[in-house]
Amino acid sequence: MNTPFYKYGAFGDETSLVVAFVIGIGFGFFLERAGFGSARKLVSQFYLNDLAVFKVMFTAIVTAMLGTTYLAWMGVLDLSLVYLTPTVLWPQLVGGLVLGIGFVIGGYCPGTSVASVATGRLDGLAFVLGLPVGTLLFAEAFPWIRGFYENGSVGVQTLPGVFDLPYGLVVFAVVLMALGGFAGASWIEKKFQPR
Amino acid sequence: MTELLITRSNHLVDPYVHVWAWQIPVYLFLGGWVAGMMSLAGYFQWQGRHRDRQCTCVLTPWLGVVLLSLGMFALFLDLEHKRYFWRLYTTFEIASPMSWGAWILVVVYPALLAAALVQPPQWLRRAVPATEALASWLESRPALVRAVGLASLVLGLALGIYTGILLSALGARPLWSSAILGPLFLLSGLSSAAAFVHLVARRRDERVFLARADNLFLMLELAAIVLFLIGLATATEAHKQAAGLLLGGPYTAVFWVGVVGLGIAVPLVVQSLAVRHRIQHTPLGPIMVIAGGLALRFVIVYAGQVSHWAPQVAQF
Amino acid sequence: MSPTAQTLNEPWGDGRDATRAVDAAAPAPYMNPYLAGIGLGLVLLAAFVIMGRGLGASGAVNAFVAWVVGSLAPAHAQSNAFLAEYLGDGTTHPLKAWLVFEVLGVFAGALLSGLLAHRVRVSVEKGPRVSAGLRLALAFSGGATMAFGAALARGCTSGQALTGGSMLNAGSWVTMLAIFGGAYALAYFVKWQWR
Repeated sequence: MNTPFYKYGAFGDETSLVVAFVIGIGFGFFLERAGFGSARKLVSQFYLNDLAVFKVMFTAIVTAMLGTTYLAWMGVLDLSLVYLTPTVLWPQLVGGLVLGIGFVIGGYCPGTSVASVATGRLDGLAFVLGLPVGTLLFAEAFPWIRGFYENGSVGVQTLPGVFDLPYGLVVFAVVLMALGGFAGASWIEKKFQPR
Repeated sequence: MTELLITRSNHLVDPYVHVWAWQIPVYLFLGGWVAGMMSLAGYFQWQGRHRDRQCTCVLTPWLGVVLLSLGMFALFLDLEHKRYFWRLYTTFEIASPMSWGAWILVVVYPALLAAALVQPPQWLRRAVPATEALASWLESRPALVRAVGLASLVLGLALGIYTGILLSALGARPLWSSAILGPLFLLSGLSSAAAFVHLVARRRDERVFLARADNLFLMLELAAIVLFLIGLATATEAHKQAAGLLLGGPYTAVFWVGVVGLGIAVPLVVQSLAVRHRIQHTPLGPIMVIAGGLALRFVIVYAGQVSHWAPQVAQF
Repeated sequence: MSPTAQTLNEPWGDGRDATRAVDAAAPAPYMNPYLAGIGLGLVLLAAFVIMGRGLGASGAVNAFVAWVVGSLAPAHAQSNAFLAEYLGDGTTHPLKAWLVFEVLGVFAGALLSGLLAHRVRVSVEKGPRVSAGLRLALAFSGGATMAFGAALARGCTSGQALTGGSMLNAGSWVTMLAIFGGAYALAYFVKWQWR
């Protein structure tokens, strides 16, 4: 079996959009199941009394990571055909900080805001309406920040590549980190329960 | 009068036909919606439910008049020689779907009016005493009201099917060359109407009935779509390529996500769960059904114009 | 004789009490975060295996803004390097982007999950100390901020942290750590919105 199916020509671009819709249904379903349609649940991560964001995100990362690693090892999945965004150090660092700031102010991230609109939250709707405004501001400012936008571009880099370690070892390290994090999370949650 | 002499190429047919724009899908959608509402109201009146002023069959005929007029206006906007539209009513061409359509619409208006006058609203009874007298007279003749209801039902079904036949009668566009297009548009109209009337119904039992009816119509609509595609895919090469427009071609995504996914499947799941009391009734289901019905008309009209009998031209 | 509004016998009367019961049903508790994370991870894995790409959300906003600007001011959009990328060469409609259809799916999936859990309700998520109006304004600002940050970082939490994280993409891990860093740094200063 040769996967990714799309990259091996199993179906065309139009059909891939239908696939996108179906995959999106799964994505939205589990986001809401976890409670990420609720801003209060999401920001509780940053007040340390409910670390569900960390638990869900890292469980998902570990699940997908182990899945891809195993399938790649079996020869089923061609990892080199999976799209990775290129690493551009400085804008990603600053962009990440800005994302984090927007997260605690807005209470959502773009994906979860859609889930919150679906469950009737008006603040989620306000957040969604703010998104294109921010993008437009960025687009208009682009000619001036273009230099910074490309600053530190090093192409596609993976952690195993950067640290010059075998892929499997890094996977193992991430799993250990996640497990340690989950144990620590329970302890932290108990300690920071809102009085 | 404009006379056009062309030897083949003109901007309206090359590289593919795009004579019909948004006016036609909007007209087909509104026609189907009104047809569905007529059928439902006619059914309720035939059952005698008009005696309760809270019945939706009291409201929907008026809505039908308004919506159908909007649809006719859209149709009028599409005409090339607008000033001569009245000529459609100086003749009846038995082989012309446009002639059939023009006359069906003429008969539909009095039927809608008759249905509306069976139970006029209070302000109308006061403003025009004749309506009060007429309503009382009709009240004393339940058989006549049943006949009005039956007429609405039959005319509604005819109008719904006609919207599909208008397209399927044009053999030159392989995508439309399917006998199931008429029933498909009727079912789509019925599902949109049932969804809408379910939203505005004031009686709880009506709401439940309409939700159940809508679910049935949605399931039948899905079956009709499957049969439509099977019919096309097993006919001539041109038909197969026409079906290909929806099965991998340029209209695939909008069709399967907009019409089938968000317009039929998702609301069907939502409404089925609501009818089984697993989740509460939400207006989002009906809204999606109605939007999906509009999307269906747009996709079929636009994709149909692209479909072509010359395989070497119809490369997508 | 004018007709009276008789209440007819209910030939279709059906489970009035059942309808009332479900209308008043309490929201179900959220799914265990680890289970939800596994579900999310499997959806992500499916995206990798079927499409050779991961999930996302901010890209859909970029495509939408590019489409709007492209429709209203085509020349301006084409000359803007950021937007022009989403407009492509003009053969495909900008809204026919994978992420746009994925986001439609997110809406549908979250709606289904919310309905099944009786969690769909028009509401405003906020802390007790702020008004709904202020919360909506903050949500809007947060959305604009996040969109700006996502454009800089080439993705948001779904695209970078979740997708890139599981693929051990170096830039994604930088972004992810920056998101958490920025959020934790600012959390104290916006606590009044949530607690």
